[in-house]
Amino acid sequence: MLKDHVKLAVKNLRHRMSRSLLTLLGIAIGIMAIISLMALGEGMQQAVTGELSSLSDVIIVSTGGDIMSSFGGGGGGSTSEYFTERDIADIERIQGVKDVSTQLSGSALAEYNGKATIVALTGMDIEVMRLQYASQSLHAGAFLNDGDQNKIMIGYGIAHDTFDADIPVGGRIKFNGEKFFVTGIFGKQGMGGVSSDSIVLMSTRDFKALTGQNNMSMVYLRVFNVNDAESIALNIEEAINENHGRKDFATATTMTSILETVQTILTLVQLVLIAIASIALVVASIGIMNTMMTSVMERTREIGIMKAIGATNKDIMSIFIIEGMLVSTIGGIFGIIMGVFGSQALSLILSSFFSSMSGTQLVPIITLMSVVLAVAVSLIVGVLSSLYPAWKAARMSPIEAVRYE
Amino acid sequence: MIKDVIVTQNISKTYGKPPLQVYALRETNLRIKQGDYIAIIGPSGSGKSTLMNLLGCLDKPTDGNILIEDMDVSTLNENKLAQIRREKIGFIFQKYNLIPTLNALENVELAMGFAGVDTKTRTERAKQLLEMVDLTKRITHKPSEMSGGEQQRVAIARALANNPSIILADEPTGNVDSKSGDNIMRILEDVNKKGETIIVVTHNMAIAQRAKRILRIQDGEVREEHA
Ligand SMILES: Nc1ncnc2c1ncn2[C@@H]1O[C@H](COP(=O)(O)OP(=O)(O)OP(=O)(O)O)[C@@H](O)[C@H]1O
Ligand SMILES: [Mg+2]
Repeated sequence: MLKDHVKLAVKNLRHRMSRSLLTLLGIAIGIMAIISLMALGEGMQQAVTGELSSLSDVIIVSTGGDIMSSFGGGGGGSTSEYFTERDIADIERIQGVKDVSTQLSGSALAEYNGKATIVALTGMDIEVMRLQYASQSLHAGAFLNDGDQNKIMIGYGIAHDTFDADIPVGGRIKFNGEKFFVTGIFGKQGMGGVSSDSIVLMSTRDFKALTGQNNMSMVYLRVFNVNDAESIALNIEEAINENHGRKDFATATTMTSILETVQTILTLVQLVLIAIASIALVVASIGIMNTMMTSVMERTREIGIMKAIGATNKDIMSIFIIEGMLVSTIGGIFGIIMGVFGSQALSLILSSFFSSMSGTQLVPIITLMSVVLAVAVSLIVGVLSSLYPAWKAARMSPIEAVRYE
Repeated sequence: MIKDVIVTQNISKTYGKPPLQVYALRETNLRIKQGDYIAIIGPSGSGKSTLMNLLGCLDKPTDGNILIEDMDVSTLNENKLAQIRREKIGFIFQKYNLIPTLNALENVELAMGFAGVDTKTRTERAKQLLEMVDLTKRITHKPSEMSGGEQQRVAIARALANNPSIILADEPTGNVDSKSGDNIMRILEDVNKKGETIIVVTHNMAIAQRAKRILRIQDGEVREEHA
């Protein structure tokens, strides 16, 4: 019997082909929106996760507050509290710590093309620098190399907005009278929280030679075993806090915890994207309902005939619900296909917009989960939006078959 | 003893509410026996279709009871009524009333589909019936691709599909020319000769004369016409 209902529904949809196609298109667009936004969200998620988990053996220790504001942006310099040599020694003594490196913060008078201004300086081991800034795109030039001397990397803002003239790669800046050469300029960060636009990076050695200071604002360390990272981080906090006689002097953050935070944020972003896409679906389901209502009204006589020759209310209900489900499921499948292409197009557009900001390309990832979800959602939309029209149809009387026109 | 297929007990049908009430049918008592061939005649608006719709369980009487094969249908729910309509009754309409999206074969099969007959049996029987009404060459035609007479013959095949106890035909020849009309009536008479009970509404006295019984309706009152 179900087979007959499907057959009837198909015949009827084909009979009103252009209308069916338009209704179907509505659903397809809604599903496409969901699929492509989910694919972009997933792509984002995996890109970030991949990047961060390659650093999973790293622990970052900072003074006071929140690590998230300094990580990646690397602003440094803003803290007025610094680690001591004793802190570093304590960290190195903790079991499982592989190597330790520090980030130094300070400031200097910078002079370029006749204009002078105070800028914040960050000194760190070049190897650590490469790790920490790996995710950041270069606007021009190249990264520093081990052993480089009197060479610096600068943020986009230093290069373009700080002095009267733009600083090119190879440009020469004087810090406290000493000459440094620019090897690389980071891409514009813009809205990314604390930005690296106004950063000046140099090697630890250069920093010490230039400023004579040893203000350790951050400590980077790696552990032998990733699984120990959390416990080692706790040990470090304890040891340093004891040194300073305060409970909240140091914060040791593992990549795993950063990863979790980032993932939570990204999941939220994804949910918001899906919510937006759902509006398209709601509109589409109203479209189905509208088409079905029209169809029920037009087919009053036909419904009456079917009842007159013995169709039950259930038969009629079933025919109309199947019709709605067919439209929405076929629409959904088209939507998935369109979403596969749509997400590629979207990522191309997005990439061309943000290419200057982030080195990593956003590759949309279509998961089985999102496809299953799309199919399920379109089925549900089909049933829900045809429920009322189908009920209306089922309630019609067989006398409609003989009603005068 | 021949059993009664349909018995009506004091059935009335009114449309609308007072004071605009229309008495379409007044306290009618009928006894229709197995194998009967009844013609219903009467002027337009006299209540012929009203009576047919009640007998066919398309509508319910305002008063009185209808027994179909001794079952009181006024007490049945919608599901049971649908079952009666598909198992006991074959309705033939003046306007054919085929489903426009289905071809001749599918239209005949549909009634059996609702009755749960399996696909193979269904197709076989539908083909037989269409052959009987001489439409073997039209089985894949849609209603819009057939003449009125042809459509009505498909409708007859459909009405017979589930072996009903009774065939109700409300002006089956009303929309076709006299030659097609004769053809249709001959088919119905053949069916009657095989034992099927048939009730036909007609305006055509020649057709009515060929029936075994004639009922005349006037202003909702049914009288037996004696030949
Ligand atoms: N749904 C309805 N609502 C109100 N009045 C109705 C309705 N159906 C029929 N009537 C009225 O009931 C009366 C009987 O109608 P019916 O259709 O039974 O006549 P009929 O004998 O079949 O006429 P015809 O030969 O023209 O088909 C008529 O006066 C008609 O106007
Ligand atoms: Mg009539």
